[in-house]
Amino acid sequence: MSLKSERRGIHVDQSELLCKKGCGYYGNPAWQGFCSKCWREEYHKARQKQIQEDWELAERLQREEEEAFASSQSSQGAQSLTFSKFEEKKTNEKTRKVTTVKKFFSASSRVGSKKAEIQETKAPSPSINRQTSIETDRVSKEFIEFLKTFHKTGQEIYKQTKMFLEAMHYKRDLSIEEQSECTQDFYQNVAERMQTRGKVPPERVEKIMDQIEKYIMTRLYKYVFCPETTDDEKKDLAIQKRIRALHWVTPQMLCVPVNEEIPEVSDMVVKAITDIIEMDSKRVPRDKLACITKCSKHIFNAIKITKNEPASADDFLPTLIYIVLKGNPPRLQSNIQYITRFCNPSRLMTGEDGYYFTNLCCAVAFIEKLDAQSLNLSQEDFDRYMSGQTSPRKQESENWSPDACLGVKQMYKNLDLLSQLNERQERIMNEAKKLEKDLIDWTDGIAKEVQDIVEKYPLEIKPPNQSLAAIDSENVENDKLPPPLQPQVYAG
Amino acid sequence: MAAGGGGGGAAAGRAYSFKVVLLGEGCVGKTSLVLRYCENKFNDKHITTLQASFLTKKLNIGGKRVNLAIWDTAGQERFHALGPIYYRDSNGAILVYDITDEDSFQKEGVEVLSHLITYRLNSVTKNVKNWVKELRKMLGNEICLCIVGNKIDLEKERHVSIQEAESYAESVGAKHYHTSAKQNKGIEELFLDLCKRMIETAQVDERAKGNGSSQPGAARRGVQIIDDEPQAQSGGGGCCSSG
Repeated sequence: MSLKSERRGIHVDQSELLCKKGCGYYGNPAWQGFCSKCWREEYHKARQKQIQEDWELAERLQREEEEAFASSQSSQGAQSLTFSKFEEKKTNEKTRKVTTVKKFFSASSRVGSKKAEIQETKAPSPSINRQTSIETDRVSKEFIEFLKTFHKTGQEIYKQTKMFLEAMHYKRDLSIEEQSECTQDFYQNVAERMQTRGKVPPERVEKIMDQIEKYIMTRLYKYVFCPETTDDEKKDLAIQKRIRALHWVTPQMLCVPVNEEIPEVSDMVVKAITDIIEMDSKRVPRDKLACITKCSKHIFNAIKITKNEPASADDFLPTLIYIVLKGNPPRLQSNIQYITRFCNPSRLMTGEDGYYFTNLCCAVAFIEKLDAQSLNLSQEDFDRYMSGQTSPRKQESENWSPDACLGVKQMYKNLDLLSQLNERQERIMNEAKKLEKDLIDWTDGIAKEVQDIVEKYPLEIKPPNQSLAAIDSENVENDKLPPPLQPQVYAG
Repeated sequence: MAAGGGGGGAAAGRAYSFKVVLLGEGCVGKTSLVLRYCENKFNDKHITTLQASFLTKKLNIGGKRVNLAIWDTAGQERFHALGPIYYRDSNGAILVYDITDEDSFQKEGVEVLSHLITYRLNSVTKNVKNWVKELRKMLGNEICLCIVGNKIDLEKERHVSIQEAESYAESVGAKHYHTSAKQNKGIEELFLDLCKRMIETAQVDERAKGNGSSQPGAARRGVQIIDDEPQAQSGGGGCCSSG
């Protein structure tokens, strides 16, 4: 008995040791009684649920906030008191929520709530979430999926980004520079937190930062790209007009080391132009940068094929300028400003993308300030070209309008070539005919000559022993010869 | 305490990232210099390198990891005005001239350098708001300047006197080096020395900004943002580092 009780002190029932799920393996109190496998499953489920809940919560908050805004606007006079109380309650709930997550989100959220008070009176701007297009939805889903692989850190990051977006929602009336500042602060903050607290290795931090940038910038894009408060649009139009006015600039004037006569090279040039134009269609700064990088690689290829040596900056920049002039990419200044303001700075500062972006900035600056001297032209020539009086292209006997699109130009060129080819073929045909005639004439001529000669000197073939016979034939002078001596008989 | 920890963190865990701009006239051999350094190639007939305008190199100097990004700049005179766009954020600048070409030295020295220096002055004298913004871009660094006389394999045809070049370099606070990309002379030394100087500058910067920042690049932001919660801590850090 005593033995039994003694044993009881340390005795644990077999069933208690087993996994709570009843899978037959032993459980562990550290895993809440599950075995390692079941625990992982349970934990994973719980975590996903948590993320889902967070997401829903954020959505709900957004909706409530909107309702609150809408009602505060419409309820100026008539709305019932109870409703505003209700609204107050919600606001309280919201601010409470804000404070609990505040430690994840320091300075910006504080400013945000202050701004919220100011904004309360203003007309509500449409919610970020309300107007989600299909793309933003897709990006959100991808983002959540991506973060799931990062366990607790992912969850925390999600909370932070959500809070940031909410804060940005209130900051929409601030100047774009301030909004950019907030975004840059946020990037820095999140990256640092991941490294110092999450102990995430630098390469992964970079990956996560890319995803965060993608997520927040897809959402913020329409509010911060070419905002009305800035003169970005004016600058866009200015540079567009400027590039159009410079249509006459030739590769030779810029000393572009690219020979477009080579089909491969002109192919690369076309690709580069396509890439730089495509930049405008992207929403995320990083994707825009990727377009610039792709464009640059095509330029390098074009230079490599032409010069057969690696391109230096001396080759690259003029070519990029030429590509920009030829492509006239839409909203060039807005795109540059947007990237500068909202791209993750670590990418812009030292990376390869940053280098190409800097070169694009240089190209734009050069085009803006371009003058006669920078093209090695005389001032008079430059002025004449600028005013459109003459065009250097005209002298090259290309009399089709210079602003015709590339395909048309190519077509004209091809037509030109074809007609030239036609001409040449005709010439060849003529020559061939002439040659044929010459040949016939020649044979005829020869035949005639031969005939003449033959006629002139007829060939008479005499019997072969005629001359021999002649010896024996009647000699004309035979008569003059004395008669042959006759034998005489003498009587003697 | 905080400052020391930050410096240690940079040395042990994080690699330094340095941007170096390469300046110089057309045919002074900038391209050969970087290609020799990064890929050990010189006038290679079977070139696999696509471009020599942006190259990177990873180094380990006394246990400190360094990621070097070398930015070539267009040397033609018509592009000189664009310089400041390239210099932004750079930790170092290498000014290359050809020892057989007096012009390449004169232009280098007078135009580009004065440009660089006025740029630095401008960024300091601009009004505070702009200055802070500029600082974010510049990250408060001093540019380490190198003046490089290339093509010393053509010593016989030297047209720029060593003394003149060296005294000039000293007058603008730069260091002078002699290199030959053809014979692979002095190039390793040039970059190694430059990296050491940039590390030093970065460490001085870190210490100067110090107070709790843990990242060379993030100093300003770090201070600004963190003051939300560990207010007392950052005060303590300041105390510690001063004492």
